[in-house]
Amino acid sequence: MILKADGVTKRFDDRPVLSRASLTLEPGQVVHLAGPNGSGKTTLARILGTLLPPDEGEILVDDVPLSERRSQTRRMIGFASHAPLLYLSLTPVENLEFFATLAGARDGRRRALALLERFGLEQAAHRPLAHFSRGMLQRVVLCRALLLDPELLILDEPYAGLDDAGILVVNQVLTEIRKQGRTALLIAHDKERGGGVITHTVRLRNGRVEDA
Amino acid sequence: MTFLLVMKKDLRLFVRDVRFLATLGLFSASLVLILSVAFGPIFTEPPRLAAATVWAALFFAGVLGLTRSLELEGESGAGDALRLSGADAFSLYLGKTLANFALLAAVFILLLPLTAIFFDVGTLKALPGVLGVAALALIGYSAWGTLFAALARGLQARELLLSVLLFPSLVPLWIGAVKLTHAYWGGVPLVEVKDWIKVMAVMDVLGLALAAWLYEAVQEAGE
Repeated sequence: MILKADGVTKRFDDRPVLSRASLTLEPGQVVHLAGPNGSGKTTLARILGTLLPPDEGEILVDDVPLSERRSQTRRMIGFASHAPLLYLSLTPVENLEFFATLAGARDGRRRALALLERFGLEQAAHRPLAHFSRGMLQRVVLCRALLLDPELLILDEPYAGLDDAGILVVNQVLTEIRKQGRTALLIAHDKERGGGVITHTVRLRNGRVEDA
Repeated sequence: MTFLLVMKKDLRLFVRDVRFLATLGLFSASLVLILSVAFGPIFTEPPRLAAATVWAALFFAGVLGLTRSLELEGESGAGDALRLSGADAFSLYLGKTLANFALLAAVFILLLPLTAIFFDVGTLKALPGVLGVAALALIGYSAWGTLFAALARGLQARELLLSVLLFPSLVPLWIGAVKLTHAYWGGVPLVEVKDWIKVMAVMDVLGLALAAWLYEAVQEAGE
């Protein structure tokens, strides 16, 4: 899948956050999106993740406008952000099984248990998320993003709250994605944590994307 | 079946929130008690007062349920995760509507015996008719309420906006429910008010049709 943001502009209360920003994500890339706080990284991630419409410009999926195939595209994108996008009263298994089944997976429970095991959460799989520490919650967030073997993985500050073991698993996942010819967009202040996984770095400056 | 999955998830979340359920139950029962005291102790026309009381209590308490339903998707951004699943928007709406219907039906089952005792109205023979009226009223309430709750999502003072949108829209349903319940409890002959069944059915269909048309746009405009 090739996802392209073409001349995207976004304003909040007439304050421009993105100004004709363009970015192309191609298979096999792990792209690090850099930029200072408030530069619009999360906004761009949400636009690419189909959660936020741009005011101007368009998003193309394999050269087809996103609006023409939004549902299919959403099933191909894994998205993890600051907000957990999970139900805190439910357990990790209940959350992951629900979202997998909702997206059409027939083996939602198996996928959920396999991911939880990979992220070292099998012991906590049946406890409500409301009782989780930040780091544990972040692991479940990443599990949800990976639930459907996405073609494009968008991770907004995925290392936040993770210990060394968690960071290692994230980097293993990103390496697999690159090797399998899938794509990842990584937003992280500390690029070093991404280690040697990152293939490209771009920077947001004055609302535009520049090669770093 | 996407809508069954969403309904089951919402009901599970409702059931796990004991504090919310207790608040909802106590608030709705208190409304019936307060109104029965206000109208009493000697009721001039028990079937009419009882019907008005039970439906007023239910419609006001229902806003609590709809607000909670709205919060379920707002908390921790889970509503975004629903959108990201790529599931059909109307199926998501239908699941939430059914969960809200089940919640309101449970409140009605709680209020019905309380009202019957406080106002000394109702018979077992009238029960199927009253339950039928409740089904018609609550389908419409849930259909319109879930749509308006989605509209209010992400806005400031959303609870206020929900009430402002909801109550005027539901006036025909509320009047129909009161008049038909009044008739089933022996206040007036049913034949005099049976046209309200059609009004309520039209409101139900209209709410669902409007949601089928608008819900996806409302969901996508949440930000």
